[in-house]
Parts: sequence; structure tokens; C-alpha cells
Amino acid sequence: MIPAVYFDGCSSRATPVSLWREEGTLRWRTPERSHEWSAPLDSVEPSARVAGVPFVLRLADGGHLQVDHDLLPADWFPRHHRLEQLVDWLERRWIAALVGVVVVVASLLGLFEYGLPWAADRIAAHMPQALETSMGKQSLAALEGRILLPTRLGPDRQSHLQSVFWHFVNGVPGLPAVRLRFYLAPAIGANAFALPDGTIVFTDALARAVPDDQAFIAVIAHELGHQAGHHMMRQVLRSSGVFIVAGMLMGDVTSLGGMSASIPVFLVDSHYTRRFEQDADDFAFRALASQGIDPVAFVHAMQALEKAHPELQGAKGLRYISSHPLDEERIARANAASRAFRAAQGGSGVAGAGDAGATQE
Amino acid sequence: MHDETMASGVYLPEMDAAPARYASRARHLEFAGNAKDYFRIWIVNVALSLVTLGIYSAWATVRTRRYMYSSTTLADTPFEYLARPLPILKGRLLTAFIFALYALAGHISKPLQLGAALLVGAFMPWMIVKSLMFRARYSSWRGLRFYFTNDYGGAYQWYLLVYLLLGIPMILVVVLAAGGHPTMGLLIAFAAFTGIYPWIKGNQQQWMIEHHHFGGKSFRFKGNIGNYYGVYLKAVAVSLAWFVPTALLLGLIIAGIAKGHAQPFNPKTPPLTFVAIVYACMAPTYLGVWTYAQVRMTNMLYNQARLGLYSFSSTLAYWPMLGLYLTNALAIVCSIGLAIPWARIRLARYRAAHLAIVGDGDLSDFVRDAFAHGEVGATGTEMDSLLGIDIGL
Repeated sequence: MIPAVYFDGCSSRATPVSLWREEGTLRWRTPERSHEWSAPLDSVEPSARVAGVPFVLRLADGGHLQVDHDLLPADWFPRHHRLEQLVDWLERRWIAALVGVVVVVASLLGLFEYGLPWAADRIAAHMPQALETSMGKQSLAALEGRILLPTRLGPDRQSHLQSVFWHFVNGVPGLPAVRLRFYLAPAIGANAFALPDGTIVFTDALARAVPDDQAFIAVIAHELGHQAGHHMMRQVLRSSGVFIVAGMLMGDVTSLGGMSASIPVFLVDSHYTRRFEQDADDFAFRALASQGIDPVAFVHAMQALEKAHPELQGAKGLRYISSHPLDEERIARANAASRAFRAAQGGSGVAGAGDAGATQE
Repeated sequence: MHDETMASGVYLPEMDAAPARYASRARHLEFAGNAKDYFRIWIVNVALSLVTLGIYSAWATVRTRRYMYSSTTLADTPFEYLARPLPILKGRLLTAFIFALYALAGHISKPLQLGAALLVGAFMPWMIVKSLMFRARYSSWRGLRFYFTNDYGGAYQWYLLVYLLLGIPMILVVVLAAGGHPTMGLLIAFAAFTGIYPWIKGNQQQWMIEHHHFGGKSFRFKGNIGNYYGVYLKAVAVSLAWFVPTALLLGLIIAGIAKGHAQPFNPKTPPLTFVAIVYACMAPTYLGVWTYAQVRMTNMLYNQARLGLYSFSSTLAYWPMLGLYLTNALAIVCSIGLAIPWARIRLARYRAAHLAIVGDGDLSDFVRDAFAHGEVGATGTEMDSLLGIDIGL
């Protein structure tokens, strides 16, 4: 006999009882034996086992018996809640908790490093072209007139750069429909970026900062890398995915609210952006080399950018936070690409320019 | 502090058999959970949820909530959480789908996202009702369930339409500014705002209390909407008390940084350290003010509610709660989340210890109510846990 508390389901009166089992029948009675009840064992629905939580044996008539956690014999209801019995077995073990920590860390890393990007890219591949076009139009419409003002570049300079652009683009295979637009944009300074509809936005300040056509083409090649890889669409899907997953995790794991959730979302997002920037760089090096342009032009473009943005120089060392890979790292990679290019050209003795650029820092 | 008694000594039996008379006393909720057990339960369930790509998360939610509910006891009887995992899973999937659409809509077209936001806003009161119904329907004590009446009209009135009244101060500002009295306009708008907002909050609590039922009895609101003005006036004072020193401190720090830096400060691309400092200063202020409103409003909610012969006594105090929230937040950040179970247990223990049910009876005078206890879908409650709607229960 085990002590239990009986509730008849009709009132909140608690009746202390003694509970025992006779074959297929559950019986319980008050201590003074004034009342006795019984129910067939297979009509009773026990609650699943949770550490420290009393068992609730639900009866068919709406009543229930409450039995202390440690007192219910294990053989009364062996067939119920098999899955939760296993979970409960795990929950009692510190070793399982330790493994749990490792599993959580590993699966979060796996999820954000591989799972989510993979799923987002699969979806991106099936998105209609029209969606990308409308996304690009949407962003451009939002920026035009506020951040992007009509260009002040002379018509000669514009048509020269446009012809350099088209000459280069026609030689690069595998590109979606692209176009180049110049804007005066004092708010963002010397800058260039790609929009999902194939537009490449190039600011006047950057057009003035690039030292020569080859450096200009290096910047263009990088943006074409974004276009060829459909990075904008993929980034949108990935960051939406991170937003959803983080929201669901936070909703369940903590309830600290939006601010704490936005920090990991921001970190993961910039991690993806960094990866895309690297991809675009690699694409640029290959595209430049394939058209006989030394990737060292990329180094020159980077140096011009740094000169145009002196405030960025203080932001080194924040590797995970910066959306672009560190400038030195990019320059080093460009120089490596340049050396490979020159080796492939079979040229010798022209190793001067690129290395000089690298040691300037 | 804990020996509050019913003011009225008159005892009106509501049951056929009048129970024996007990001395009017306060029964405190007790929380028996401990962080060690809860940590193991939590981490195993989070791990399983992740490994199963979220499918198991519904079972995980049920297990962890059952632990928290059942560790809370009133008069030696634990509360019970009765929700089933499958409806929760369904609600969760639907919620994820809706939010995926919403997040994408923002990148494709702003009007589309605005439309979606308006739609979600229009459904908010409906979700609040559904969520309250879900919580009540699947919470029980001594085999009796709580119940929340599905008063959608009231929800739309008190959680959507009344907010339109807040438009009146805005219009006043515009009109008076156009008439050449901008300061006057601001003052009147502030007065109108302080006049309307506490009234809204008070009525929301009244609505929420009066639609809850338990054990054949309805919760009643025995308070005064006027009390809420006191709460919010003090909240304004508290926020000033927090904001002024914070602003001074922030000013000093920024001045210090500006001196240390040779290059001119560029407001368009503020250095990250600066952003971090602003957050570090603003977070405690925000928490300080939020905690004050939270503590006072929770006390108001319980202290003005009656259930049958019983009243409630909620004695949450500001500084201990603030301390709890602050140390919890710090511990969670420093442990990258591993301290979450510990933080939840501490909070639950404090909250339980400061909530009591006061009355003459022995709590056995509740009976099964006549309400039809149909199943309630979980989408509403899943939506509000993702949106973080603060219902305040």
C-alpha cells in the first residue's frame, strides 16, 4: 500500500487515501476505511515521469490520484510513455546533461554553419527571377532621392567607364543580366554595391578614387561576383531563416525579449556576409585573370578605398563583427592571386608592383 | 506583510454544506523546484529538440512546463500543466510559417510587409484571447481546470480600439503646434496621455480578471481604476530617477572618449565601443523602469482579484525583483545561456513565495464548473510567445 491523495474531479476536496493494486485492479481507501474505491488498471491513464514531479493517475470519471514521485511502483504502468521514459532516464544523469551541452553547441554550430545556409540556398535556387527583380527595384526605389542622388560625373567619364564595364562583362561567362549605375552618395562615400535585380551601384566618390581602369574593373569584378552567386537573394533568405530560428529558440529557451535575440542574429548574419564577400573576391580574381588583368588591380582598388575611408582604419581586430574580411587579409589573398596569375602567364621579373603594395601597410 | 485578512468579517456560505470555519489566513504558494534537476531536464530537452530539427520541441515544452507547474504547490497540492504536445507542434509550425512569410515580405516589398504587420495587429486581440484560453484550459489544480471566457469583443475593445484614443493627444499636439502653441500642445498631450494610458491598463486587467473562472466561481475585480494612476505616475518618477543619472554618466563617458580620440567623431559610423557603451548604460535603465511597472502591475492584478471567498496577496517588491532580473541577465550572458534554468528557478521561487491566497475556507469549496472544456488550439499562444506579448500573468 502506498499513500496517495484522491481528488474526485467534481470538487477541490483533497482526500488522503491508501492505494494498492490487486492484479488488474487499482484500489484505494480512506485511512479510517470509511470509503473505498476501485478502478480497472487499464482504464487509468498515468502521467509521464518527470524528476521530482508527483505522478497523476487519471481516472475515467474525471477524478485523479496523486502519488509522490518516488512511491509509484515501476511495474504498475510499464507500457505507458515509453519515449518519455527514455527521456526521463536521460534527464536523471549528469553525464547526459554534459553530452547535452556538447550536442547543443555542436548542433547550433552545424545548423548555422551548414544546415541553414544549405536550406536557404536550395530555396533561393527555386525563387523566380521576377522576385529578385522586384527586390532590387524595391531597394533602389527606397535609396534613390535620399541616399543616392543623381551623379555629377561628366558624360565623357561615364561613357568611358560604361564601355570599360561592358567590355569586361561581355568576357565573363555565367552572369545574369547586369547594369551599371552611377550615383552621387555623400552619405556612404566611396562605395559600390550590388542589388538583386542585377544593378551595380557605383558612387561618384569611388569613381574618382580608383586610380585607373583596372582598379575600377577590380571593384566591378567583385560586385559581379555577388551577382553571379545571387548573393543578395541568398543572404535575404539566410537572414530570414536566422531570424525565424532564433525567434523560435528564444521563444522557447528564454524570454528575455528582442534585444538579446538580436545580438546572435547580427553575429550569424555578418558571418554569412563575410563568406559571401570572400566568394565575391575569389570570383573577381578569377574573372580578372581570365581577361588578362593582373589581380593586383584589386590591391590598388582596396588601397584607394582605404584612403577614401580613413575612419575604417580604426576598426581592425573586430574580425567577426566586420562584414568585409579584413583589408589586410583581402590584400594578401589578392597578392597571392596575382602571383598565381603571373606564374601562369609565364612572365618573370614583374614581381615588383604587387609586393610593394602589400608592404605599404 | 503576509497576514493580510479579509476586511469583511461577514461569512456567506456558498456551498450547501457549510465547511468548518477556519481562521482567515494566507496560504502561500510554494515552489519546490531546484536548479539541478531543472538544468538536466532543460538541457536534455533542448538538445533533443535541436537534434530532431525542432520536432521534439513541443514535447520538450510540455516536459519543462510540467516541471515548473508541478513544482509549484498551493496547500500541498501541485498545479498541473495538461497541454498535449501535438497541438503545440502544429501551432509552432504555423507560427514559423507566418513569420517566414513576414520576414520575406519585408525584402520584397515594403507595402506588403506593412499589410502583413497590420494584419497581425488586427489579429492581436484574437491571439490574446486564444492564448489566455489555452493557458487557462491546460492549467489545473486539484483536478479542476481554469477557464477563460472567449470574449473577443472585449479583447478588441480593450486591446485595440482604446489605443485609438491615444491618437487624441497626437492630434492635439499637431493642432496646437499649427496654432503657434507647441509647448502648450506638448503639455496637454502629456496630460491627456497620462489620463488615458493608466485607464486603459486598468481596464485591461479588469477584463482579464473577470473572464477567468475556476472551480465553479468567477474571478471578480474588486478594485478601482483610479489606483492605476498612482502606479503610472510613480513609474514616470522612477523612469526620471533612472534616466537623469544615466544621461549624465553617458555624457561624461562620451566626453571622455571624445577627448581621447584625435580624429573627429563621425556620427554616421559610430565606433563599436561607443555603441556598446550606450547599450551598457541604457539596458539597466530600461530594466529598472520595466521592472517597476511589471512589479506594481502584477501586484495590482492579484491584489484586486477575488475568487469566491478568497482574495489574493501579491507582495512582489521592486528592489529584490530588479536584483533578480539583473543577476539573472548577467549570469545568462556570462554563461552563454547555460544559467537559464537557474535563472528561471530563482524567479519562480521568488514569485511563488510572494503570492498568497487569503480567506476563511480550506480551499475545498471549489467544484467542477459547467463550462464546456473543449480543446483550444495552440497557435495563439505560440504566436504570442514568439512576439513576446506581455500579457502579465
